[in-house]
Amino acid sequence: MSKISHDKVEVVIIGSGIAGSTMAAELGEAGFNVLVLEAGPERQLSDMISSQIWSRRLRWAGPEVLETGDLVGAANFAMGWGTGGAGLHWYANWYRLHPDDFHVKSLYGRSLDWPIGYDDLRPWYDRAQTYFGVSGDDDPNAPPGKAYPMPAIPLSKQSSAIKPGFDAEGLELTTNTLAINSVPHDGRAGCLLDGWCDAGCPIGALANPLVLQWPRARKAGVELRHNAYVARIETDTSGSIATGVVYLDQQGRENLQPADIVISACHTIWNARLLLLSSSDKHPDGLGNGSRTLGRYFTSHALTTIHGLFSQETEPHLGVSGANTLCLDGYDNKQPAKGAFGSRAWLVGQAAKPNDLLGTALAKPELYGEALDDYLRNASQHYGNMTVLCEEDSIPDNRIALDPSKRDRYGLPQAHVDNSLPHANADRSDLAKEEGLRIFKAAGATDAWAGPRNPMHMMGGTIMGDDASASVTNSFGQVHEVDNLFVAGASLFPTPGAINPTATLAALVFRTADYIRTHRSELLP
Amino acid sequence: MFGRRRFLTRVVPIAFWTSFIMRSLSRNAEAKTIENESYKILTTTEAETLGAWCATIVSGAGQARVARFVDESLAGDQAASLLLLRYLDASDMARFYRTGISGIEKECRHRFGMSFVRATATQRLEMVEAAIASKMQVWTNPNPNFFYFISRSDAVDVVYGTQAGFADLKIPYLPHIQPPKPW
Repeated sequence: MSKISHDKVEVVIIGSGIAGSTMAAELGEAGFNVLVLEAGPERQLSDMISSQIWSRRLRWAGPEVLETGDLVGAANFAMGWGTGGAGLHWYANWYRLHPDDFHVKSLYGRSLDWPIGYDDLRPWYDRAQTYFGVSGDDDPNAPPGKAYPMPAIPLSKQSSAIKPGFDAEGLELTTNTLAINSVPHDGRAGCLLDGWCDAGCPIGALANPLVLQWPRARKAGVELRHNAYVARIETDTSGSIATGVVYLDQQGRENLQPADIVISACHTIWNARLLLLSSSDKHPDGLGNGSRTLGRYFTSHALTTIHGLFSQETEPHLGVSGANTLCLDGYDNKQPAKGAFGSRAWLVGQAAKPNDLLGTALAKPELYGEALDDYLRNASQHYGNMTVLCEEDSIPDNRIALDPSKRDRYGLPQAHVDNSLPHANADRSDLAKEEGLRIFKAAGATDAWAGPRNPMHMMGGTIMGDDASASVTNSFGQVHEVDNLFVAGASLFPTPGAINPTATLAALVFRTADYIRTHRSELLP
Repeated sequence: MFGRRRFLTRVVPIAFWTSFIMRSLSRNAEAKTIENESYKILTTTEAETLGAWCATIVSGAGQARVARFVDESLAGDQAASLLLLRYLDASDMARFYRTGISGIEKECRHRFGMSFVRATATQRLEMVEAAIASKMQVWTNPNPNFFYFISRSDAVDVVYGTQAGFADLKIPYLPHIQPPKPW
């Protein structure tokens, strides 16, 4: 069957989530002719219905991911589907990686190093927080940077109940840093603290692509094409120049979209998978895989939630889905005990409704019947929680691969993610769990318990590096073997630290956009 | 009118036999209601079993039409699904439910020689506890513990996760955009 051909564009971006939409707006405003291809449907603010049940329609509905290993299960929950991608239901926790996170191999002889350091990224973090609009106070345990544009969201009743536990443990609990307006800002409303963030924020207090990037991108003339599932990146006969992409439309027809510059920004798993799917005689193992590292060094964060019931009322349904307060105290101690390795961060006081994965009912999955009803009536007034994120070492065995034995709905090999937490990181996670239970008990919780260890966030798979024989891209996300092919997103991270990745992802996007802008004449024919 | 909490904590201990009769009548009424409804994916028998299973886990799930909730989502495409299962295993959601319901029936017949909807309240509770403890005797696929987790979530959704459920728990709903209907 012949492909439907389209007019050539200067830049084609695959994915309309936070990475793709930010890149699109930046390059559009720089005068590039930009097209964004989004696999899912068009979304409107009216799709952001305040309901945990209805919000599931915003989540991933693309091809299945096969997940194996002992730290899996995050894919469908974390990814988005449609305009704005996961940016429509993200939690807006906004943190910078710490200086040591960029040099783990050099400092500790394990995991990897980044090709850049904190000082390289610091101005881009500053730029990103201004662009997104971040609320937060100065935190002595966070890396240095520009003051946040807005004051922090005040302490919630949940945090107030938990804080004495941190005090007793000698740890500093601070206000959180969030890409959520604490006050009206930049033409967007201030947060009402009603706890519906992960169902989407139609008032735009939480920085989501529908209110932030897309108005700018559209004004700059960026075209957004929906229901366009990119199946491969094409290269010329030399294999050194990307010529465009092939995508499948809603009717399953193949479309050829030529472009001078191709940017893959379709989330960690799909960035790696797309390069793997784009093999050719010049790139038999996938584009950018001369180093044999494509798909490898996948990482996540090992997450454990501490749950508790308090005698005082905590109003758990209020606040933000991300976290009300934060503890980075002790983050820089990556070797807290013999045999244990990795940073950890506490995110405290997440708004919780009764249902869904992070709801109060699933905090005690063993309860049913009258016991469940009694618990929920108590938890609705007295529940508190906090979540610890722990670092996972970057190791080559944790990887994204193609499973040729299974085909997805488009007839393409299924994505397979295999991720197991290295032993030293598991020990670190266990220490954090014990710390969390001590904190809740010291805070006076009448009942405190820990949930199971789960993954949160997905990073790596197309890691950046200076050495083309050991990485997929350079520090700008430019694929080593194909100069006009870029990757954007957390798949570039050589190491994950122990904090939510979006601020770093955004900082890298601004840095890459600036690189493309300043190298325009070299990149465009 | 009694709230659910008052009903469970005060009336049940005082007049257990009365409540047992009431529940039996209610169950029969519920079954008749189900029989009068047509389902898109599940058979009437499957829907009845799923409804009874979920009602054992979450009181009120049958009246909240949990089987209808599941069935309607299974009938649409994945993108329109409102089921929590889509986060964890969206490969063939209809088969997951149908196999799980079949597992309930198989296990119940093995243990008690009758279908789940005809089992006593005590027998139903024993089944749920076996799923929680991963101690099913003949039901293995899908993992009964995981099926319990998912079906419990469905029941929690329709009973506690709606505006009416929030109100019953005394949680202010505070929507930005009201749900067009509970589910």
